Amino acid sequence: MATPVIETRNIQKSFGDNKVLKGISMKVMPKEVIAIIGASGSGKSTFLRCMNRLNEPDGGDILFEGHSIMGKDIDIDLVRSQMTMVFQSFNLFMHLSAKRNISLPLRQVKKLKKEEADRLAMEALDKVGLTDKADAYPGEMSGGQQQRVAIARAFAMHPKVLLFDEPTSALDPQLIGEVLEVMKKLADMGMTMVVVTHEISFARDVADHVIFIDQGLILEEGPPKEMLINPKNERTRQFLKRVLQEENLPPLPQ
Amino acid sequence: MIIIVFIVMLEASVNAKYANVFLNATIETIKISIFSIAMGFAIGVVVGLGRISNNFLIKGISTVYVEILRGTPLIIQIFIIYFGTPQFGIQFDAFTAGTLALGLNSGAYQAEIIRGGIQSIPKGQMEAARSSGMSYLQAMRHVILPQGFRLIIPPITNEYVTVIKDSSLAYSIGAFEVTYWSLKIIAYDFQPFTTFLFAALIYFTLTFSTSTIMNMVERKFRIPGYMGAE
Ligand SMILES: Nc1ncnc2c1ncn2[C@@H]1O[C@H](COP(=O)(O)OP(=O)(O)OP(=O)(O)O)[C@@H](O)[C@H]1O
Ligand SMILES: [Mg+2]
Repeated sequence: MATPVIETRNIQKSFGDNKVLKGISMKVMPKEVIAIIGASGSGKSTFLRCMNRLNEPDGGDILFEGHSIMGKDIDIDLVRSQMTMVFQSFNLFMHLSAKRNISLPLRQVKKLKKEEADRLAMEALDKVGLTDKADAYPGEMSGGQQQRVAIARAFAMHPKVLLFDEPTSALDPQLIGEVLEVMKKLADMGMTMVVVTHEISFARDVADHVIFIDQGLILEEGPPKEMLINPKNERTRQFLKRVLQEENLPPLPQ
Repeated sequence: MIIIVFIVMLEASVNAKYANVFLNATIETIKISIFSIAMGFAIGVVVGLGRISNNFLIKGISTVYVEILRGTPLIIQIFIIYFGTPQFGIQFDAFTAGTLALGLNSGAYQAEIIRGGIQSIPKGQMEAARSSGMSYLQAMRHVILPQGFRLIIPPITNEYVTVIKDSSLAYSIGAFEVTYWSLKIIAYDFQPFTTFLFAALIYFTLTFSTSTIMNMVERKFRIPGYMGAE
């Protein structure tokens, strides 16, 4: 069997007295798209941010391509450059154009020459359909466009896996589609992805595996067809019902 | 504007015979100001970064520096450096002592401005940089500081204007700057009103040019679509 791109073993994390993650173990296989769902405050973001140690886990282990990345002598910058992240609030570098947002990490981390970094940046912008915004600043773009640039910035690094933290939650409803479309395209290209999302229909259509996190633990997981349509757990069922109601979607067909 | 020109002509005629003295004094004031602003900036960057460091020793030293330099009178700091150091066998001339004191003092204020600028950059900027594999220093240098420096232009302009005005305190140790020479000229040629007015005009010209230039800098580096820019 192939080595998982990411494997977490019994990840625990507290903020003060607040035990947010109570031991989460999971595997992300190559080319797999994993959707993580769960109520607000259940620890989804914290878990995702533990994977690249943006949040430092208190206990447990994280393996990247079979090797623990928790050791002191690990070059965490190198690891992060291979599991890049897309944020809810885009976090584009406000003082740089779309193109330079993408080329900056290429130049600083991968030490590419300016011409090469610019070429890769334009290629990435082309994939998200935004070559015409190459010289636009984040403040001059819509939320949907900013998020597409942020996605381009993340995958231009040629990471082994992309981490998404609710990439569409800050967007106006009419802008969500364009971002999901880009993500779907990446999934179709065989990109390995971990996506924290409230978009149940995206999880159903794109994910290979869905994980429901509740109060810092994995309560239920499985293929989307089972998980989302016929959840075994009562809490999962209630959560899905509520989310679908909020989104004004009909219940998923049996 | 017309009134200013009129006053300049009036003052200039009264002080014509001292034109050369005032010119040299102005150059001295400019030199003290520029050197101490530059020195204060260098200190400000180091101490400002030190103030937000995770290393508690660096943070402690930086905090003590800021608190002491901010919490004691500038004139005492000038006296300590000019009159105090000879006790240890070091003797600065008035220009050097004045510039050092002003620079050290301004460093504390600029450190606080720079710290504030850095801390007002949203946390997500650092996280985005670090999550793409950039080191803390790379993120600071290419993401946080460039944005922070744009934010601090208005408050730091204020500080530069203050330094120019405070350079007048160096008269007290005999630095040959504008205030010093104004007092000397008044002693020879008893015309305190016009002479002080002329000195004030010189300071105003320097401070007003500084804020005008800084406004231009701010406009030039404005980020399109961000922070109130068009
Ligand atoms: N940096 C932090 N300091 C203190 N508490 C935190 C921090 N980050 C998260 N928490 C707490 O941890 C808990 C889980 O937060 P987390 O952001 O992981 O939830 P989430 O599942 O992503 O929620 P949402 O759907 O609202 O994004 C919350 O109670 C939150 O208040
Ligand atoms: Mg979250």
